[in-house]
Amino acid sequence: MSEALEAQQRLQAVARDPRAYLEQWRQAHPGGKVIGALPMNFPREIAYAAGVLPVIVQDDQKPVTEGRALLAEFYCGYTRNLADQAATGRFDMYDALFMADHCIQLIGSADIVRAVTPQPVFFGMLISSLSDSWAGAKIAEMMGEFRSELERFSGRTIEDHELRASIVAYNKDRQLLRRIFDDRSAGSAVHSPTQLQDYVVSSMVMDPVEHHRLLEAAVSEPASRDRDARVRVHLSGHLCHAPRRELLEVIEDSGALVVDDDLYTGRRYLSTDVDESLDPLDAIGKWYAQRNVNIPCPTRVQHDADWDEYLVEATRSSGAEAVIHLMPKFCEPHMLFYPELRKSLEAAGIPQLLIETEHEGIPLEAFRTRVEALVELTLRKRPVHV
Amino acid sequence: MTTTTTTTPARDQTNRLTMTRTGSKMIADYWEDLFVARENGKKIVWYNGGALNPMFQAAGLAWCHGEAFAARLAAQQLEGPAQLAGAEYGYNSELCSYSRTHLGCAVLTVQGSDDPQTGVVGLHDRVDLASKLPSPDFFVNNYAGCSTGQQWDEVSFRIFGKDLPIFNISHPFLWGNKPDAGYLRGEEWDSASQYVRGQLVELIDFMETQTGEPFDYDKLNESMTYIKRAAELRQEGLELCKAKPAPATFWDWIACIAPINFLPGDQALVDYFQGVKDEIQHRVDNGISGIENEKYRLYFDGIMNWNKLGFLSRRFAEHGAAVLAGRYIQNAFWQEPQLIDTSDPLLGMAQHYLLCPTNHGSKTLDYLTLKDTADYDIDGLVFHATRTCRAFTGPQRLLAKSARDNLGVPSIFFEGDVADASFYKDEILESRLVAMLEAIDVARERGDHKVAGSGAEVAWPS
Ligand code: SF4
Ligand code: SF4
Repeated sequence: MSEALEAQQRLQAVARDPRAYLEQWRQAHPGGKVIGALPMNFPREIAYAAGVLPVIVQDDQKPVTEGRALLAEFYCGYTRNLADQAATGRFDMYDALFMADHCIQLIGSADIVRAVTPQPVFFGMLISSLSDSWAGAKIAEMMGEFRSELERFSGRTIEDHELRASIVAYNKDRQLLRRIFDDRSAGSAVHSPTQLQDYVVSSMVMDPVEHHRLLEAAVSEPASRDRDARVRVHLSGHLCHAPRRELLEVIEDSGALVVDDDLYTGRRYLSTDVDESLDPLDAIGKWYAQRNVNIPCPTRVQHDADWDEYLVEATRSSGAEAVIHLMPKFCEPHMLFYPELRKSLEAAGIPQLLIETEHEGIPLEAFRTRVEALVELTLRKRPVHV
Repeated sequence: MTTTTTTTPARDQTNRLTMTRTGSKMIADYWEDLFVARENGKKIVWYNGGALNPMFQAAGLAWCHGEAFAARLAAQQLEGPAQLAGAEYGYNSELCSYSRTHLGCAVLTVQGSDDPQTGVVGLHDRVDLASKLPSPDFFVNNYAGCSTGQQWDEVSFRIFGKDLPIFNISHPFLWGNKPDAGYLRGEEWDSASQYVRGQLVELIDFMETQTGEPFDYDKLNESMTYIKRAAELRQEGLELCKAKPAPATFWDWIACIAPINFLPGDQALVDYFQGVKDEIQHRVDNGISGIENEKYRLYFDGIMNWNKLGFLSRRFAEHGAAVLAGRYIQNAFWQEPQLIDTSDPLLGMAQHYLLCPTNHGSKTLDYLTLKDTADYDIDGLVFHATRTCRAFTGPQRLLAKSARDNLGVPSIFFEGDVADASFYKDEILESRLVAMLEAIDVARERGDHKVAGSGAEVAWPS
């Protein structure tokens, strides 16, 4: 097996089974601490600088069983999955949990996790109203709190040079990931959406240095594949967790080719680097603010950051002909903002399809039919060459 | 919207406070004034979340609380047109029904802003309350806890073309990271209180810019003096409801929400709550109860099901179940008036905004729920699993388990919604309620109902 293929398989394995990776990591780092970081904006750089492995908690895609007794069925699938992970002891792979984000369903599920697991759950709420004149100061203050809390948790002081090194490691990994995504939006069809999802999810789980090494190997063999004649689509949504792989496969199997996305387990996650020229903690604060400028998120409130405009612009630069909205069922921020997206895409004449995704029992065949209908509609809009 | 299956409860066995009729009149007058506010030369602010009305009152503004308007539409079964407009605009029916009702109004308002003189939409169709809402001059968001509350106003701002000013107040969620964290205490509480107070000062600057007038601090103090007094009377009235049989019920207090939540702070407000308290005192003195034949004392957790208010009150009364207390009453709406310093009220106001019942971690909510359960000698808890309000429903399962484990008090869940009647299933409530009441009867006969019994001391968990 080639080195590239081996690396690809390893990344896939980590993305699909973080627990196995963490077990190996613990064996290789006796006494090392692992934290589970809830999405979407926890500054992993600070934890890593403290010698802690920060792992973004994934929807492990297992059916919700005991978690049903803890959280209402009208919570989004990800948060119900979190409650289930807590109820069935699957959080035992973390020594503590950290959360930074203001989404009420996420907070609700973290509260359940706190109540039923022995691990401490620290919630440092980053201000979500980002147009306020005091937002910068509040972000900086909270980043300071994260630093202190992680120092307390790890039992060591985080030096600035360690923070810098951590920033460099994460930037390097993000930059490589971003290059792959940029290649895709520029025309390369080498990587499938599931493969890219595996690359991003594995980066959310792994030590960044190790991940970067593997990712470099994974993409080391020169390969090129141009877009074929399928309808070019942009995937939008899933703000905090991965859509099911089967769904991504069905999309590409129904005459569509994914050329870009703004998914959390895609471009949204890797959109922004931390400025290495600034004071490191200050730079991490600015990174948080900048992320919402680069790809606006409806869980934040920022009057001049427009997800709808971003989306229209993204389709222009990638050449996407249509947009598929992947909206997790019951995701409030997405439900609230969706009409704005719809309106802007309509005004721009871009065909679109809304798919409400579920945690379990996805009606794949129904999705296939709907994607095919979108494909047909979009094809009809293609210029006819005679 | 409105399709639902309900059977009418038998003869009405409630004995509602007559004073609430006065409240209804005050509320109706308030809305009528708001509908003509622009004609009367007032600027109009749309806001959501904590009761900022004394600030607006002092700034000489007319104010429209989005949730209150959605609740009013639902209570009057008039939410349909707004929700349809929202659905057409693209809002999913699983979205918070308060927000999609109010956003539907925003859509109607924008679509129909064909009367620039008054800004009142649809004067040609006065029957349709949804379209009577005057368009705003600016927005203020003051939502604690629930992220949807914050995002909702941002979306309103966008529906209005991003042309109107908007001011946001952020509230740290009272999570309790620090060991000293507790209800109304600890470093987290102190720093969050100061932070929100600071933002209120910024809000005053913002309002001065909008109105072009200096803010009237004396007026704020005056308004808060009335509100504090009204809140104290409300607390005293609630305290009286611990009597057996209970002289008034949760449903009476629900009818008192609008006055305490958004009516102007003035003598009329104080008189109203004095009247409520006096009526309750009179009932206590004369052994008059809030329902006929009180057999069970229940607690109601969840945001109100406004479409079903009268119906639910009758449904419970029919079974001899006096619903006495609930998170939405005891733990909301200026519930800690001692925090308000009427000569400098901003800090106490900020603290009340933080005390929104969706802004606490479950440890605090558990403490508050157990305390009220013990204090009101509650026999069972009823959880309104409010379908589109995830903020209220998140901790409910934990609260139910804790009441059972710590006090031996059983619970039921029933599904409904704040402003969408289609989620309410009457058969489910009826069968579960009957089952719980029967279980209470059996436990009473066995002598093992409520291990902790009446008056149990509930302490802050160590
Ligand atoms: S952002 Fe949406 S999907 Fe993610 S936790 Fe919040 S509600 Fe759920
Ligand atoms: S979900 Fe509940 S708490 Fe949140 S905005 Fe809607 S009604 Fe308010």
